[in-house]
Amino acid sequence: MSEECVKELSNKERMNLPFQEMLLMDPEKRIKTFEEVPVGYTPEQAKTEAMRCIQCKKPDCIQGCPVGIDIPAFIKLIEEGKPAEAAKKIRETNFLPAACGRVCPQDKQCQAVCIVGRKNLPVGIGNLERYAADYEREHGTLELPDIAPDSGKKIAVIGSGPAGLTAAYELRIRGHEVVVFEAFHRAGGVMVYGIPRFRLPLEIIDEDIKFLERIGVQFAYNMIIGKILTLDDLIKKEGFDAVFIASGAGLPKMLDIPGVNANGVYSANEYLTRIYLMHADKFPEFTTPLYQGEKVAVIGAGNTAMDVLRTAKRLGADVSCYYRRSHEEAPARSEELEHAEQEFLNWKWLSNPVEFIVDENNFIKQIKCEKMALSEPDESGRRRPMPTGEFFTDDCDTVVMSLGCEVNPIIPSTDDEVRINKWGIIMVDESTCQTSKERVFAGGDAITGGSTVILAMGQAKNAARAIDKYVRGKLKEVPNVPTDPNAPGVQWSFAG
Amino acid sequence: MTDKIKKIVSQIEIENEDTISNALDQIGKLKDLSDEEKVDLSSALSVLFYHDHAGMVEMIKLANRAEKQIAKFGEAVVPFLIKEVTNADAESAAHLGRAIALNGAAAVELILKAWDENRGDDFAIINLIQTLSYFRVPEVVKALPEILVASKAKNHQVRAMALNAAGRLSQRLHANLLDEKIRTKMFDSAFTLISDNNPLVRANAARALGKMLSKRLLNDEQREKLLKSYNAILGNDEKHEWDYAYIVRHEAERFLPFCKAGESLADRYKQSFKIVSKRELCTKTFHFEIEAPLLAKKLKAGQFIIVRPHEFSERIPLSICGWDEGKGTIQIIVMAVGKTSSEINNMNVGDCFTDMVGPLGERSHVKKHDGTCVVIGGGYGTGAIIPTARDFKQLGNRVIGIVGARNKDLLIMVPELEEVCHEVMLTTNDGSIGIEGFVTHALQQILDRGEKLSHVLAVGPVPMMKAVSDMTKPLGIETYVSLNAIMVDGTGMCGACRVSVGGETKFACFHGPDFDGHKVDFEQLVKRQKMFVEEEQKALATLGA
Ligand code: FES
Repeated sequence: MSEECVKELSNKERMNLPFQEMLLMDPEKRIKTFEEVPVGYTPEQAKTEAMRCIQCKKPDCIQGCPVGIDIPAFIKLIEEGKPAEAAKKIRETNFLPAACGRVCPQDKQCQAVCIVGRKNLPVGIGNLERYAADYEREHGTLELPDIAPDSGKKIAVIGSGPAGLTAAYELRIRGHEVVVFEAFHRAGGVMVYGIPRFRLPLEIIDEDIKFLERIGVQFAYNMIIGKILTLDDLIKKEGFDAVFIASGAGLPKMLDIPGVNANGVYSANEYLTRIYLMHADKFPEFTTPLYQGEKVAVIGAGNTAMDVLRTAKRLGADVSCYYRRSHEEAPARSEELEHAEQEFLNWKWLSNPVEFIVDENNFIKQIKCEKMALSEPDESGRRRPMPTGEFFTDDCDTVVMSLGCEVNPIIPSTDDEVRINKWGIIMVDESTCQTSKERVFAGGDAITGGSTVILAMGQAKNAARAIDKYVRGKLKEVPNVPTDPNAPGVQWSFAG
Repeated sequence: MTDKIKKIVSQIEIENEDTISNALDQIGKLKDLSDEEKVDLSSALSVLFYHDHAGMVEMIKLANRAEKQIAKFGEAVVPFLIKEVTNADAESAAHLGRAIALNGAAAVELILKAWDENRGDDFAIINLIQTLSYFRVPEVVKALPEILVASKAKNHQVRAMALNAAGRLSQRLHANLLDEKIRTKMFDSAFTLISDNNPLVRANAARALGKMLSKRLLNDEQREKLLKSYNAILGNDEKHEWDYAYIVRHEAERFLPFCKAGESLADRYKQSFKIVSKRELCTKTFHFEIEAPLLAKKLKAGQFIIVRPHEFSERIPLSICGWDEGKGTIQIIVMAVGKTSSEINNMNVGDCFTDMVGPLGERSHVKKHDGTCVVIGGGYGTGAIIPTARDFKQLGNRVIGIVGARNKDLLIMVPELEEVCHEVMLTTNDGSIGIEGFVTHALQQILDRGEKLSHVLAVGPVPMMKAVSDMTKPLGIETYVSLNAIMVDGTGMCGACRVSVGGETKFACFHGPDFDGHKVDFEQLVKRQKMFVEEEQKALATLGA
């Protein structure tokens, strides 16, 4: 019966359908497990949500997607009850749909520009993407893509995070032989060591890696490029025709305040890596320890901070978030913030840590903060946090700083032809991602200084196209790589 | 049967694509079906599998849909499906088999039971084996021995199907699920059949082996054997007697490329991390030589590695006491203090480390100096100073080594150090050999005899490094110490290894490990090293368990 209904629905009726909330695991229950929080759409929900899409003639959402997924088309297929085909459609442009459906900041991309959102809540594009991808995985409908005939070219991809994997995929299907070099003992990069299991289950990443292996992408683990092989080794001795650097983030940013090196003070990277890569939550079955007491203070309010907060909660702590601006300025993806807010955490907005107070054994015991107030908007329209001179001190026995990262410095520090700016960001030609060194391209956080999974993937796709042309001798333009050390990293625009 | 179900069933029975498709849609929407109804529907749908679909694209699609639908009915219909499969034709058996396999672990048991009950009925057995080959769940590993027994059956079709299943499962299952023993069994069973007198069996054997090969389940020896067989089949060897059956040659040709060692590019970057020698230096302290050709090519004095001995281990940093580029090995010294170091010391020649990564950190500060260079080692650090001492000597420096320990039994690596120094001084706390006292006493003796010191490197326990730095600071002698901070990644990504040097936070793994000893905040270092004492005790306690 729904078949006929679908055809007759007017745009107005579609716009009046209620937004389909994805069911969430109950907060009381979920803070005791690492299982995924949103449980996914039922087929009915997915269909109804798909009906809310009015199939714009000139869809803005596609412009809003860093990899340019044909969103209306895949939604249409879901509406028609063809989730497997919907997944296939998405895969034409994005080969990590299950991960992206879960971790993309849709509220700042496709869904932000969705027309339906003008009056109502925008179409749940991310939810639908996840639905199609999950359907495909669970029903085994995934088909292997066509691989172009062997090009005889060899390409080295450095790093197996979102950018590296995307480039590997794009280059492999174009017929090149691709080796992905990973420093850790398993692939996935930030998706493994930095994104919690309750947001992105490990099976999903492993499926994607297996998929790549099946199409012939090769992986080499325990390989820190720059150390065990330099870029020159790869090009001159190992005979790679091109190299793509996607080595991602490096040195975590630390506060410069007294006590920052106290025991029990971690960077978010360390904290999450211990748990998600090394399984410290299953200590002592896994030997990696994690010293975590009962009161955890998390500094920052970005996505990673939310991940840390919720992880600490799941490990049974009383957890507080300290951020020097207010709730409204929190940079986290709205859904993450919302989910975190359901999980019995304490929020200390407008609190700027000024000192970590330690005991005689250098263990953290208190955090001292200055209360902040927001200024009137300045010329740039931004309200700045201003010190108030008022201080407060809270007890805590663990601190996690989630303040972002600098770019991974290992490759630039071992090769002087790859030009970087003064922040360590690798400089590239914006349109081709070529670096100042011949045969070497770069993408992901290495050239932006930090962004999201999907942006990294978008760049990697562009870079892969350029690399493909390059190794086939069809990339004629001389790369235009900035020389000014003050030039910023690549700013992503939604040009597609 | 309720009317509703009856109606749907009758719809399926009308062999019209649209009606069937419609019926499938309806079934998809049905809720709260009883087990009986599920069986009724499955029975009706399975009829679709028996049609001759040759060339009828739409019908093939419908059959595939029916297969998925039946699978969705779940465990309730599995016994029925198994019964069906035992006397289904080839095409339907495949559909039914896949539907069963989607039901996972519980179904494996039921099939094995059916196998038992149908012994003697080769036809049923063939279909059951085929069904097993579609599973992806780990439980299906249990069925492998039975399948391998079937590969010895009299009936050549049974043999052929058993091989087919073995090959398919080796591709589908995660390699970790297949241990050494079962791999050997699989290889041996298939390998005997590569000379079977039935060509179908030979072809399937060649394919099954090829699949195992491409999934990297074979060891070097097995691969060599297979290479010979494939070449014989193709007439590539001296005998030039190719297999007359095309189907056999076809498989050999297809998988031959996988036989070539190093066929995959990424293989070049795999190191075995195998222990080639192990010797005890003193209580709880061992010297290991490990196969790691890429590392051996790149290591520089002062650099270190991070290892993970087992899948469950933490990553710990270890310093290097030598390497041999020609042999492709590196040498480390491990003193058992925590769980992971104890685990390493329990490993033996032939064992492999799960992971080893490096070279990490910067090279030691070596150059030509006017005065003498002194390298000081304590405990495991005695190994770490050897490569640096060698570098100093090679650059034409006069090099003195000092080694300290509590007593003479704990002094290690002295002969090796003597080889790379002009002079080696020993100190023991109890005076059992060499100078009685600490390494600083030896250093004082050098100063007392008026020798000009240009550079000091100290590696070992923190109090020793601190004492040396404290002594040289007022004298203005350049002094470096190698800091063994707690680490996780070792690449500058986590900050676990941060140390204070001259009031600045540095990452030992990336900026170090060698730092100016006069600027290091040793007190903080000691305290940070104790971050996980409690946890380490707990971990250590699990070691015997
Ligand atoms: S060990 Fe992680 S940054 Fe040094």
